[in-house]
Amino acid sequence: MKSPMLVVLLAFVASTYAAALALQSPKFTVSSPNGDQIRSEPISLTKKSSPVRLGPQDVLRVTFQVTENDGGTGVQPHQAFLRFYDNISGEDGLQPVRVTSNGKARFELNMARPPSSFPPTSPDSVLKVSLIIGSFVHKPLAVDLFDLIVPASQPVASHPEEVYYHPQPVIEHTFRPEQKTPPAFISAVFSALVLAPWVVLVGLWSQLSPKVPNLFSLKIIPFTATLGAFELLLVWYWVDLRLGQVLLYGAGLGIVAVFTGKTALVQVGKLRKGSI
Amino acid sequence: MAPQKTATKPQTSAPASPVESLWKAYSDNTSKRLKFIDSFLVFLMLSGIVQFLYCILVTNFPFNAFLAGFSSCVGQFVLTASLRSQVNPENKETFKEVSPERAFADFVVGSIVLHFFVFNFLG
Amino acid sequence: MLSLYLILAAFVGLLQAKSSTGDSILVILDNKLNRSDYSLFFDGLEGQGYSLTFRAPGDTTPAIKEHDTPNFDHVIVFAPHTKSFSPDVTPQSLVSSLGKGTNLLLALSQKQNLVNSLASEFSLILPPPQTPLVSHFPAREEPATVIPITPQPNVIVDPDLPPIWFSGIPVAPGNNPLLFPILRAPAESFASDATVDSGADSVLEAADRGGEGLWAGSSSSLITGFQTRNGARATWVGGVELFSDDFAKKHTLGGKKSGNAQLSKDVAAWTFQENLVLRIDSVSHHKLGGSETPEVYTTNDQIVYIAHISKYDPATSSWVPYSGISDLQLEFTMLDPHVRTSLSPVPDTPGEYSVTFRAPDRHGVFKFVIDYRRKGWSTLQSSTTVPVVPPRHDGYPRFLSAAWPYYTGAISTSIGFLLFSLLWLAGGEDKAKTKKE
Repeated sequence: MKSPMLVVLLAFVASTYAAALALQSPKFTVSSPNGDQIRSEPISLTKKSSPVRLGPQDVLRVTFQVTENDGGTGVQPHQAFLRFYDNISGEDGLQPVRVTSNGKARFELNMARPPSSFPPTSPDSVLKVSLIIGSFVHKPLAVDLFDLIVPASQPVASHPEEVYYHPQPVIEHTFRPEQKTPPAFISAVFSALVLAPWVVLVGLWSQLSPKVPNLFSLKIIPFTATLGAFELLLVWYWVDLRLGQVLLYGAGLGIVAVFTGKTALVQVGKLRKGSI
Repeated sequence: MAPQKTATKPQTSAPASPVESLWKAYSDNTSKRLKFIDSFLVFLMLSGIVQFLYCILVTNFPFNAFLAGFSSCVGQFVLTASLRSQVNPENKETFKEVSPERAFADFVVGSIVLHFFVFNFLG
Repeated sequence: MLSLYLILAAFVGLLQAKSSTGDSILVILDNKLNRSDYSLFFDGLEGQGYSLTFRAPGDTTPAIKEHDTPNFDHVIVFAPHTKSFSPDVTPQSLVSSLGKGTNLLLALSQKQNLVNSLASEFSLILPPPQTPLVSHFPAREEPATVIPITPQPNVIVDPDLPPIWFSGIPVAPGNNPLLFPILRAPAESFASDATVDSGADSVLEAADRGGEGLWAGSSSSLITGFQTRNGARATWVGGVELFSDDFAKKHTLGGKKSGNAQLSKDVAAWTFQENLVLRIDSVSHHKLGGSETPEVYTTNDQIVYIAHISKYDPATSSWVPYSGISDLQLEFTMLDPHVRTSLSPVPDTPGEYSVTFRAPDRHGVFKFVIDYRRKGWSTLQSSTTVPVVPPRHDGYPRFLSAAWPYYTGAISTSIGFLLFSLLWLAGGEDKAKTKKE
């Protein structure tokens, strides 16, 4: 990412340093925990090797030598860092490498106990490993080494309030399911069944054929009419009226009913007594 | 026909079934007026049964409507039954102060109030 | 003086950019620093309309605050070489004025001083004294402690910003979500006190020490912003030279002028509440189909919620309706959020955000909650309480087809009662009870 630009910059800047640094015989080894070598190859600076995979307990060793100019004497630079960069999370971890005074360096990474600077990784992370060598008296050197694939780490513990700083998951309320209504046809059928007892009633009553001599007696009709009015008022209340209104009208009708009822029942009583 | 009152016992001592004899006693001894009331009671009972069956078999939603319709039948049944017992001449001793007209007036008032609650709850 | 203003005009343009919270700045300037060395920065601020008051760290007047009332809207502390401050400048007084709304722009020092000790209260971990940031990359004539950096763009840093020069210390920002790194260190840089290559061993020792070990790589931050919960902002800058005229005039390695002047202006603009300042102008809610705000809602109602949001525009010093928030969310909460939906901008009305949703079928006292926090932006918070009641007795669905049998039953009973009464009243009397013959 940055090293090609650095190479270009180095070409532009007038060289005030005595010499450039060079990397001699870099190589890496991957060993299993019991010491067997899984992979060992030199690191080519021109052609990138295939990604290096490490298991949870494997050990990676990197060795190289830092020299002045290509093939010159070994030097100990101020800065020799291995940089592990995870391009998915954008985090990087820098690990210093011990370089002896004649430039020889050796670095060991044990996946069972990685250094604390090692970045956290997700299952798809591919770490880009590069070597950063800086010195007060030489031109700096940055070299991409290889790609490293390691087991995923524990997720980083974030601050509990961090979640508020990003959009949070959408919550939809699950409503009670709508009541299922039976088909209107069934309800209609049962409504007809509810009306069926009328047949029985009319049948029974006609069988009895009670005598109704006073059906249209003028003293009795108002009362029955009042009762009819009451029922109509209640049906009207069912469809339209408010409670206050129905109580008001009902009270009015009630007063009427008292009078008509008194008349009608007195009449009925007289008729009953008179017929004996 | 011979106006003799002879206790005519049937030859074959196979009495009519209890239901039949009950029915015979009922229809012989009940006045027309009471039978008139009884028909109404049967009507109300059937109506209530049908609504109850609908509630169990099909759906009990809306429950308030079921309660309103069912108690309309049941309440009216109760009021009519009490009218019947108050109007029955055989109970005259029990209801000395209550004339049939008074009983009927109570019946009417109770019914109107019942219907008010029914239509209020019917929804 | 006139020529200076001409130079200013070239840099600042003719924009009068002013803060949304006030224009008075107190600058606590180190005795060893000259105002003239920072003229571009300070004169730029004055040209924008701020009024600057300078004082030395040891002076007692003008005080930052008197009797708990802040005297100034903003405070700049450029005092990296000062060991002792006057009694009114203490970590407590700075923090309490931050709590009262004063914004702070603080430069860290390589020595252990008041500002550095305050930084650790803000979850910033500083390297040991006298370990500045060094980078050997790119190769250059300047010493390793003067570093050119290509900034990563974010809400404050413009994508076109030229590389800048930096000299100072890195900090390791903690986990605190109120922190907001504005400028991160380059990958090859690290904190070191060495000046020759033989200092390599001390680097390794520092790394082995564990804890923070080595302030290396891009996880360190050089300019860090902090926004308090009540909106005040504080910015920690790793070194005061970032604002200096030298760095502003210095050319980058590519030959272009450095971006220091622009970055200083942008950092000041954020810190002094010019940029990224939002506020909620009003919120309202009503039932779908209505326009008045009801006192209560019924369960399962369709509710419309509307918020009006403005952003402060420093160029015109006014609040302008702003529809650019794409991830605003509304919560309908009773103890826990029952509904969380996105509050989207209304296309034709700038600044208006609206959402329609269905009230849950639980009744209780709910709140409409907006709680919008994003790093670098001011927080938007609003909470409106509203009761939600179950339907009235006649609010339920009526006249349903499922209830036809019951309706017929009730009506049939009424008709039966009427007929019965009619016939009863009309009735003739049967003869007195006779036994059947």
